[in-house]
Amino acid sequence: MSTKGKKREEAKGLKRVALIGNPNVGKSVIFGLLTGKYTTVSNYPGTTVEVSYGNINLDGTRFVLVDTPGVNNLLPMSEDERVTRDILLAERPALVVQVGDAKNLKRTLVITIQLAEMGLPVVLDLNMEDEARDRGINIDKEALKRLLGVDIVGTVAPEKKGIKELKNAILEDSKVPGLKIDYGTVIEEYAEKTTALLPKAKISRRSLALMILAGDESLAGWLKSRLEGDKLESIESFREECALKIGRPIGLHINEIRLKKASEITESVVKKTGEKEHRVIQFISKISMHPVWGLPLLLLVLYGIYEFVGVFGAGTLVGLVEETLFGEYLNPMFTKVVDLLLPLPLLRDLIVGEYGLVTMALTYAIGIILPITTTFFIAFAILEDSGYLPRLAIMSNRVFNIMGLSGKAVLPMVLGLGCGTMAVMTTRILEGKRDRLIAIFLLALAIPCSAQLGVILGMLSSLSALAMAIWATCVMVVLLFSGWLAARILPGERGEFFLEIPPLRKPTLANIAVKTAGRVTWYLKEAVPLFILGTFVLFVLDKLALLKVIHKIASPVIVGLLALPEKATEAFIIGFLRRDYGAAGLFAMFEDGLLTPTQALVSLVTITLFIPCLASFFMIIKERGMKMALFMLAIITPVAIAFGSVLNWALRGLNIAI
Amino acid sequence: MSDELRMRAAPETEKAQFEDEALEAIWEIAEEKKEVTLAELNHDLKDEQAILNMVADGLITLRDGKVEFTGEGRRRARDITRRHRLAERLFVDVLALTDFERDACRFEHAISTEVEEAICTLLGHPPTCPHGRPIPRGECCKLYVKKVTPLVVSLTEAEVGGPYRVVFLRGPMIDRLASIGLVAGSDIKVQQKRPSYVLSIDETTIAIEEDVAKGIFVKKHETENGK
Repeated sequence: MSTKGKKREEAKGLKRVALIGNPNVGKSVIFGLLTGKYTTVSNYPGTTVEVSYGNINLDGTRFVLVDTPGVNNLLPMSEDERVTRDILLAERPALVVQVGDAKNLKRTLVITIQLAEMGLPVVLDLNMEDEARDRGINIDKEALKRLLGVDIVGTVAPEKKGIKELKNAILEDSKVPGLKIDYGTVIEEYAEKTTALLPKAKISRRSLALMILAGDESLAGWLKSRLEGDKLESIESFREECALKIGRPIGLHINEIRLKKASEITESVVKKTGEKEHRVIQFISKISMHPVWGLPLLLLVLYGIYEFVGVFGAGTLVGLVEETLFGEYLNPMFTKVVDLLLPLPLLRDLIVGEYGLVTMALTYAIGIILPITTTFFIAFAILEDSGYLPRLAIMSNRVFNIMGLSGKAVLPMVLGLGCGTMAVMTTRILEGKRDRLIAIFLLALAIPCSAQLGVILGMLSSLSALAMAIWATCVMVVLLFSGWLAARILPGERGEFFLEIPPLRKPTLANIAVKTAGRVTWYLKEAVPLFILGTFVLFVLDKLALLKVIHKIASPVIVGLLALPEKATEAFIIGFLRRDYGAAGLFAMFEDGLLTPTQALVSLVTITLFIPCLASFFMIIKERGMKMALFMLAIITPVAIAFGSVLNWALRGLNIAI
Repeated sequence: MSDELRMRAAPETEKAQFEDEALEAIWEIAEEKKEVTLAELNHDLKDEQAILNMVADGLITLRDGKVEFTGEGRRRARDITRRHRLAERLFVDVLALTDFERDACRFEHAISTEVEEAICTLLGHPPTCPHGRPIPRGECCKLYVKKVTPLVVSLTEAEVGGPYRVVFLRGPMIDRLASIGLVAGSDIKVQQKRPSYVLSIDETTIAIEEDVAKGIFVKKHETENGK
């Protein structure tokens, strides 16, 4: 829900319940089950980078449920972790439903300890009980309940097990966990001194004092707006004194004490028995990370995607929908109906003409792109849910190092193959501004989104293997080279590679279906209006005879440098609105025999590199500011055209037949 | 340890400290040549009376101007030399100090056998001091006679497998590692080292790159049980 929705809920004064927990423990699945609202669920840490809100109604009591990005520590170390801590700091939920991984109780309890310190009432949900049981981990929930003094529920979210109990627990009077930790005389003394100076806050001042002592710089802004300068100075000097006395990083020291406590509790309530082995899954898991066998597996996966999306989606399905359904039935039918009802030629052209809303906008959006994106979303969902993507990061860390990034960047990059707009947001999981900037730049420049990729795969599959290889090489070269260059130009060090690897899981049909449906709906909502807008712009330009003028203006570039037909200009114009729309324009031209194979290849490489679509451009502005967004635009457009020209020149100069 | 240090520095232990220095000097000379003469020793220590007192105390014998250890003297000389050289190794290898000689001299008097063994184990029972002289073997080393590799190694030198116990951590990723529960004292397994390192700790699996792995120092877990 948007911020507008958020404000509306606040006005109603509904109680807030926050879902908090480590990454990849299933918070979003629980959110979906409680609210009936779908948010993206995948099998890798960092799927949720933004907060979602949803309503729940339990026996007549209404709450607002808040889904948050996963945290390993409420002392934030990345932007997504900070989002979660700030929710607790700014909104103070009436209740926290802490979702924990039942097989990782120790890490769960480290968060519980911090929630207890903040003074927040907690219901503890131990999720993935089935996986814990398979691994021979049995938690004595009654004993744990006695130790913590809060309600504890065990769930297996995908099977909806324990959800009713969870709902009941939310309705009951929840308590703050009874976990008080003594951090030793030095830290306790300085925590007390700092607490005395802190302003009133929505969470306990002691917890804030501990965060400050631990050197949490993300609190600086919050403090500055609430405290006078001399108090800020005293707090800073307390922190320094304390650090001197402890003689090692305080944050680490505090964390170790918490871990020790969590470890003690875990040992007292967990009984280990023999584990069941899942040999096939373990075998695949091992292969997927193997220095040698990982590569053939990756190629196999890529080949599978190509067959499913490029051949089946862009070939078979597009043939059915575009050529048969639209070409033979819908478009002729619409044309007849419009001819009958609207005898005005201008209106007729608007709907079924060369730039008609039905014959062009809808045919492109639904006839060409919908089948391709749908197949891509299905393939992509399988990859996401299996847990393969983080394993890809292990394989590709070294390659990403060349681009000045760590292997972790493979997640936003691969997501960018789905949708660049979502991927720009996912760069938040990367450490440091520099890494995020490079990743966003590369996403905008060289990563085609699913729709565009599908169209490109579709066209390439009817060219030749050589064309495919040239296209892929071009994109890789641009990606590597511009990343390498950006890494050298931008100051600072890249973040070191550190990524949690989730277990491989068999994807469930239900989640894939729901996720794909969600994404397809989102695509239709976002893309179709823009397709209509783009078509309308072309229609108006055409009727005003401006299109010819633009063709002429762009001709030195399009015809001169890229050696493409003038009409290709239109693909690049609508490419400003959506890159996939531009690609679809080229697809249609190619189908009509207006592009030679060489021209097709040059135009595809150029449009792949071409500026990001409007939606992701807005997202870049949101994440990195207008100046940076315009700056990227100013680099990307000439680079795309220049590279296309060089390719054209090379293909023709070397006489390479595609 | 600080109590012990103060105790040793008291006037009545000045004698013991001199004896330690003398025994160490004799050990060192004996390592290079066969015979140790009183004249040579006196040149180093400049206190003939105190040396003669050691003869009276039954630490050394003096025959024809040549100095030799008694059984008790040899045992003490061996201990003190071992401590001194272990201290040097600790200062150079772990603390990365360059000017360590004076502190090593003070340190050797201050540590108990328990600490000495802990240091020796931490360093992986090193065979020589930074100057290349042999470190006399202690009780703890005998348990690991067969081991040639040092006991505490960075993950980059550890073999695939485990379990390993984390001894200490270095580098900018300490907080990140701690946040998933990897701290000194954790038990980890190494699943693979290439193309990236994959470690498991409890039910968590993480991938890191070599630069991070370099800062994780571990020892094989079995040795804990072997004691």
